[in-house]
Amino acid sequence: MLVMRSLTDTQARFFETVAETVTPEVASLDAARRARLLAIVDDALLDRQPSVRRQLGTFLSVIRLAPLVRYGRSFDRLDGARRTAVLRWFESCPVALLRKGFWGLKALVFMGYYGQPEHWAEIGYAPDFDGRPGVRRA
Amino acid sequence: MHEHSYDIVIIGSGAGGGAVAKELAPLAAAGRRIAVLEWGAKLADDAYTGREVEMARQLYFDSGGVLTKDRTLTMAYGRAYGGSTVVYTGTSLTIPEEVVRRWDVPGIEAEDLARRSAKYLAENNVHLLDEEELNDNNRLFRDGCAALGYRVQQFPINVKGCRSSSLCNLGCPNSAKQGTHRVQLPAAEAAGVEVITNCRVTRVGEGSCEAVVADPGFGLPTTWEAGEHRVRAKVVVVCGGAVNSSALLLRSGFGSALPNLGRYLTLHPALILVGEHPHPISNFHGHPKSFYCDHFWESERFLLETCMYFPFTTSKNLIGFGAEHSELMRAFPRLQMILVLAIDPALPANRVVLDRDGEPVVDYTMGPEVLDSLHRSMVASARIFFAAGAARVHAPAGATFFIDRRDADRVEELIPRSRVVPGKISVASAHLMGGCRMGRSAADSVTDGWGRVHGARGLYVADSALFPRASEINPYVTVMALADRAAEHIRTNAGELLAS
Repeated sequence: MLVMRSLTDTQARFFETVAETVTPEVASLDAARRARLLAIVDDALLDRQPSVRRQLGTFLSVIRLAPLVRYGRSFDRLDGARRTAVLRWFESCPVALLRKGFWGLKALVFMGYYGQPEHWAEIGYAPDFDGRPGVRRA
Repeated sequence: MHEHSYDIVIIGSGAGGGAVAKELAPLAAAGRRIAVLEWGAKLADDAYTGREVEMARQLYFDSGGVLTKDRTLTMAYGRAYGGSTVVYTGTSLTIPEEVVRRWDVPGIEAEDLARRSAKYLAENNVHLLDEEELNDNNRLFRDGCAALGYRVQQFPINVKGCRSSSLCNLGCPNSAKQGTHRVQLPAAEAAGVEVITNCRVTRVGEGSCEAVVADPGFGLPTTWEAGEHRVRAKVVVVCGGAVNSSALLLRSGFGSALPNLGRYLTLHPALILVGEHPHPISNFHGHPKSFYCDHFWESERFLLETCMYFPFTTSKNLIGFGAEHSELMRAFPRLQMILVLAIDPALPANRVVLDRDGEPVVDYTMGPEVLDSLHRSMVASARIFFAAGAARVHAPAGATFFIDRRDADRVEELIPRSRVVPGKISVASAHLMGGCRMGRSAADSVTDGWGRVHGARGLYVADSALFPRASEINPYVTVMALADRAAEHIRTNAGELLAS
């Protein structure tokens, strides 16, 4: 288990929970790739202002607790469909701050997952310094 | 505090700083001391790995994801030996006459900028790629535009020995792109100009500047010791880009005499759309940006360009998440991409300010006219995808995640204006302009048409911060043309400016 420098252990574990809904493939990552995901996110957060890390920590708490109002349970105790519904609400939320917060959180998950070259093959991305043989296909 | 003394200091080494350095190199060859102070690192040729997260971290501010104050837009601008010319795609256009007229800056004539631009087009080996070098992603865009009767043109680009890696925005791994790191800076250094990397200028004044050198943990070692430096110079040329040039002058106290400093920032807010074809196409091999459509330039105030981005950048620009998002990402080899650029108005409220720590904050709001342009551009792009044969289209403001081909004639209805919501759709900018706009006096601008800061002797700006309004095209050639003017003015007046 990777210790993140930018988030507390509790926040980091909850970030992983959210990440599994944002990118379902995260749920089946082995320990090494999961650690790399968190390390990429950690580096990105450490490069930014400390206020960004504080805001992310607060926003993770908001996501965790918000479902209590509607479902009577915290986010991590919901099933997959309800987790998705909660995040869809945040994505289109009329409160701009929450909508933008979710966009930022989602971007971090994507950075951690798609930023790993080990995942490129799964999506068919195969860059080559010499791309000339691959230019004409159709 | 380390002390240095130069005749001329140039802050920044991108399109502006690189051009100024080369144009002033004859003065260095004649014995004048000239230094370029560059915040970013210089990478060894074999350090360009093409790995997205790693390269973005080394070549861009905040990995290319600097957020505006209201967090509705991310900005990508370079920090490296060569500045943003290391990470652009090399598309090389000369500013249209109509735009120069709209700029309305005394002394700035379209013919003059065209003549200077032509010099850099030649210097940077700008040319059109041959038909066999164009990949499907680009040809499908051209063919789709043509089928719809939209005006489409090929981008001239500045490469030499391009091997079609498609990794331009992560720094060319084949040294093919002719940015200032390959052309102007080496030429300037050969003539005696010093380039100091990893050197952040914190304050500037008439006749001096202060800087901090720090090892970023990557790149080649720099020539100055880590720590604080004071640099005396008879002429200072600020070329840090729209955000950092404005911030540097604000931090240095010029804001009180120059009320327009930092203002009139324009960004060409941009969106990425994808169309999925029923079969694989060539997209991530080949130059990513070969065509543009300016059909809607005057009528709807947007441009369309071909583009091809990397997995993370692509993923964050798609709307949504979860299974359908993953499904689209797994279609990567079948994706055609279009970048749309809104031509935004120059407004005084859109500006660079400083936070409590003196760091720049971009206070920018996308107004209704920009959101209208983004909306219309999504509709036009969807039509191009379908005209090119796409099976389905993903539009950031689409009513559904995918718009299927059988609904191609309903794109107006399926991409409603009401869904163009800042903070939900992913809007980015790589064309940052203004903040130190040229004009007549301090009452309407920050510099004159030569880039001289009003009321400050020996202090120039020579980068995209000078633009009084958007360039309405990819801006780097215009930056070089304006930098060429600033350098000419310094050369012509060197006797007076550099007198002891």
